[in-house]
This record gives sequence, C-alpha cells and structure tokens, in this order.
Amino acid sequence: MKGSLSPRTPGVLALAGAGLIAALATGRPELALIAAPFLVFGGAGLVLAREPQVTAAVEPQRLRLLEGEGLTCAVRVRNDGPEPVEVEVAPVRTRNLAVAPAGTVSVRVGARSETEIEFSLRPRRWGAHGIGPVAVRARDVLGVTTWEGRRGGRLDLRAFPREDRLRELVAPLRTQPFLGTHVARARADGIEFADIRPFQVGDQVRQVNWRATARRGSLQVNQRHPEHSSDVVLLIDTFEEARDQASGTLDSAVRTAASLARAHLGRRDRVGVVDFGGTLHWLEPAFGTTQLYRIVDALLSSDIAFSYAWRNVDSLPQRVLPPGALILAITPLLDERSIALVSQLRMRGCDLSVVEVSPLDHVSPGPTAADGVAYQLWELQREALRARLRSLGIAVAVWEPGGALGPGLEEVNAFRRSAQPALRA
Amino acid sequence: MLVALAALVIADADAASQLAWLGAGTAALLLAAGMIAQSPAPVHAAVAVLGVIFLLRHDTRLLLAPLYGAGLLFMDDLAIRTMELSGVGQIAAEVIVARVGATLLTAAIGSGLSAVAALAVTAPLPRSVALTAVGALAAVAAFVAIVLLVRRRFGTADAEPPLRPPGPAAQAPSSPDAPAVEPLA
Repeated sequence: MKGSLSPRTPGVLALAGAGLIAALATGRPELALIAAPFLVFGGAGLVLAREPQVTAAVEPQRLRLLEGEGLTCAVRVRNDGPEPVEVEVAPVRTRNLAVAPAGTVSVRVGARSETEIEFSLRPRRWGAHGIGPVAVRARDVLGVTTWEGRRGGRLDLRAFPREDRLRELVAPLRTQPFLGTHVARARADGIEFADIRPFQVGDQVRQVNWRATARRGSLQVNQRHPEHSSDVVLLIDTFEEARDQASGTLDSAVRTAASLARAHLGRRDRVGVVDFGGTLHWLEPAFGTTQLYRIVDALLSSDIAFSYAWRNVDSLPQRVLPPGALILAITPLLDERSIALVSQLRMRGCDLSVVEVSPLDHVSPGPTAADGVAYQLWELQREALRARLRSLGIAVAVWEPGGALGPGLEEVNAFRRSAQPALRA
Repeated sequence: MLVALAALVIADADAASQLAWLGAGTAALLLAAGMIAQSPAPVHAAVAVLGVIFLLRHDTRLLLAPLYGAGLLFMDDLAIRTMELSGVGQIAAEVIVARVGATLLTAAIGSGLSAVAALAVTAPLPRSVALTAVGALAAVAAFVAIVLLVRRRFGTADAEPPLRPPGPAAQAPSSPDAPAVEPLA
C-alpha cells in the first residue's frame, strides 16, 4: 500500500512550529505551551505509524442475475498486522450499478482479525458490471498517516435483461425441414389439413377420406401440412440510439431481442443474432436452451460504437443469414445505414420485418415554438419512412418501450397476411 | 468547543475584550469556511487565531495554556475528522469512539507535558542569552527531527483525494469465457 501524510498533518506540525517560534520571538512561553500538544500529537503519530497489512476481497452471492434484481455482496477485510486499523472501503464504481450504502464504508478491524462489510447491489440495466478490486484506505490510530491501495480481483456481475412473455410471434413465410411448430406450405405428414387428391399407389389406408370417396365415387386421400421449424435471425441495430438519463432505445432493443429469442427457441426454431453497428458481431442460428444462453450472453456485450464505416448487406457473412430465414430487425430507425440495410435485405428477397423501438419517449420537443414544429416535422418524417418501408413489403411494428410487444407483432402478422402474395414474389 | 475556548479568553480579556470578540468571530468564520469548503487550511488558521487571542487573557495564562492547547488540538481534530468522514456512507461506531479516544489521550499527554513545561517556566531561573539560545535550539531540533522523520517515511504530502474505487465507467466487456461471438475479420 502507498503511504502518505494525512492532509491535516502538515497543518498540525506547522501550528506546532509556529507556536514554538512565536514563543521564542515574543518571549511569551504561553504560546509554546499551547503548541506542545500539537507537537506531541504529530510526533507520536509519526513514530507510531506502521504500514497496515490489510487484504480485502469481494464475495458476491452470485454472479448472474436479472436486471433490477437485488444482490448482497460481502467485502471481507482482513488485518494481519499487530495493531487495529481503521479502514475505509469502496468496492464498486459503475454508473449502472446501484450500491447501498452509497459511498465508502469505514470500519475498524482488530489486530489479526477479519471483518465483513455487506453491500447491496442492484444493476439498473442489463450488462456485465465489474465489481472490484476493492479500494482500501487505512489510517493509523491518530489519523496522521494514510495508506491506500487496491486489494482483491475483479469480478464481472452479469445482469440479464428482463424478458416479456410473448404469446404471438411473427410467422415465417418459409420453413426449414426440421420438426417444429410452424405449419409449412409443403404437403407431407402432419396434422393440419391441406387438400384432397385421388388415391395413388403407396398411400396409406388411414389417409383415405371416406366421405370424399363416397361423394366422388373413387378413392380420395387427405393431404396435410407438416409442422416445421424456421430460422429466425434477430438483427439488432447498434449504430445509433436515443438515450435519456434513465434508459435508451438499445436497452429496450436488447430486452426485446432476448424475449423474441426465448419465444422462438421455445417453438423449436433456430435463432441467431446479428449485432449490426459500428462493430459487427453475430451468432449463427442454432436450436436449444444452450443457444438461448449464448444469445443472452452475446447481447450483454451490445453497445453503441460510433463509426463512420458505411456497412451494407455485403458486410454480413452469408452463413449468418440462411436461405428462407425470417429476419427481425430491431431498430430505432435513426441511422441511415440501418435503414439502407433493411431495404437492401428486402430487395434481395429476404423475409424481413422491422420492430421499431420508438425513440419518442427519449426525445422531447424543445421549449420554443420552432422546436415544437421541428419535433412534429421529425415525427412526420418518421411516419413517411415507415410508409416507404411498408411500400417495399417490410412489415413495421412500432413498439413503445414499456408497453407490450404482442400487439406490435400482431400488427406485423396482419400486414404480412395481407401482403403475402407480394412478399413471396 | 470553539465557543468554550473563546469564552475562556473573553471572560478575562477586560479592556481587550473587543479584540477577543473579533478574534473569536474570525475563528468561527474560518472554521465554518473550512467545513463548508472541506479544506483543512482554514481550520488550522482558526486554531492559530484562537491561539493568538489567548494572549489577551490577564490572569493564570501559564497554568491554563496546556489545557487551552489541548482544547485547541481536540477542536482541530474533531473538525478535520468530520471533514474526512463526510464522504463516508456508513461509519462503524467503534471508529468514532477509537478516534475520539485516541485524540483525547494524545491531548491529555500533550497537555501534561505542557504543564510540566509550564512549571519549569515558572521556576525562578535567571534570563540569559545562553539559556534562550538553548531553548531555541531545543525547539528547532524537535521540529527538525519531526520534519526529517516525515521526509524519510513519506516524502512530501499532497491533499488527500476522495477514495475512488477502480473499475469501468459504465459497462464492462463480455468475459473471456463468453460464447463464440465472432467478430468481423
């Protein structure tokens, strides 16, 4: 630990020195007598001061939790020295991690003993929040010297985004030949009735539709739609976000992505993630619970990275967007590059829908009348942008953070049902 | 504490009571300024002013000086430690007890030594140049010894910065064992 004089010590010594010199100069012994306790205090403090042997470590209850969830974190402070030490401890300093008690905690640790300080932590948003090392400041018993250092290692507290339960999901136009829950357009073994056709050699007897056979006078069999899975790619726009003091559109986008990923994986879809912004990250589509944890873990590192790079659809590796995959773009529609990307994807025939995370909650019109007009113009521009995207065949669901996502997805499905022939073209 | 010390002086200042009032007021202002600005320098200045106005007393100055010095030290200590602990979110009770106890003990020892010195001063010694020189040398030697001790151990002192733990400003990167998230080549 690095030792230094307490800021008070030079002042105390200066007072003692001034008193002694003034006593000599003026011939008034009272001044020397007044200065004597200061001299004794400073001298004793310096003579008695020893470097404390203090160690500290952070021990959180667990390292994974949901955003907004509380967690108790213990900081163990051990004094291996022969004298008691007064220790000030501060374990964390992150903007998005609420700590109680706020500020430092001052405790007295006895000789060769250990004490435990409990902090309550609550992540305000999802992400990986660093805890530790612990900043420790120790003082000698008179407070003449201070010793500062950092003790213990760093731990990452991973706060997962809170997820909404989604009953309705965007139905894909095309499915993959794996067992799932989506009714495929193809005809094969399945549950959903598709059509009736004349009996052919090889058809099973249980497929025969006896009513149709009686009506038509020849053997007729039922055809059915099989239940297949689909590939879903969640495209998160990290070029730009609207943010206020409390939250931003990226926070909501990640929560939405986590909710969608869980819901689609629960329906046996293959889900992948593309973090499309200043930096590009992706996870290829895969099935299962493991993939859910991979996705959530990958989402935690999502952040807005400022970049001038003009990225387009060619920046995406081909294997990230499998043929026939349903692409759900989660974007605030603020950056030209992300708007261009969704347009390009649609023009290449991708099955694409946009979940627009509305930035309006984070932007307020200015105080003047001109600001109000500018705000209204901006809203109109956004409405025009949505209309342009819809004219390209892209379903756009406007989602107000804080509200339910379900109605927005239902809106997307309604658009897609009405525009299906055009979308398949 | 400041009021008690100032009252001790003003009660016996007689003709110089206005000066004593002025000194006490200045000291109070300096102390308040130091507490508000979280700076020890005005607090030390207040202590110095209170020390100087002690000379305005008429009677029993020598006998009261050790106690007065101890009182000044205690006031200085309380003020500084209040500032030190102002940014602390939680303070254990034993910390305050130990600090106040240690300061009281030191002040008591200092005032005791000071009282012994006061008795020595009141002894009928002949005032001479040689004796004054010995006194001056002793004072300077004590002070130099302390300064050398400080320099050998710590070097020069800076102002104590607020205790800031290290760590990321807002968002830590994903851990190394995070799943395969492939960056664009």
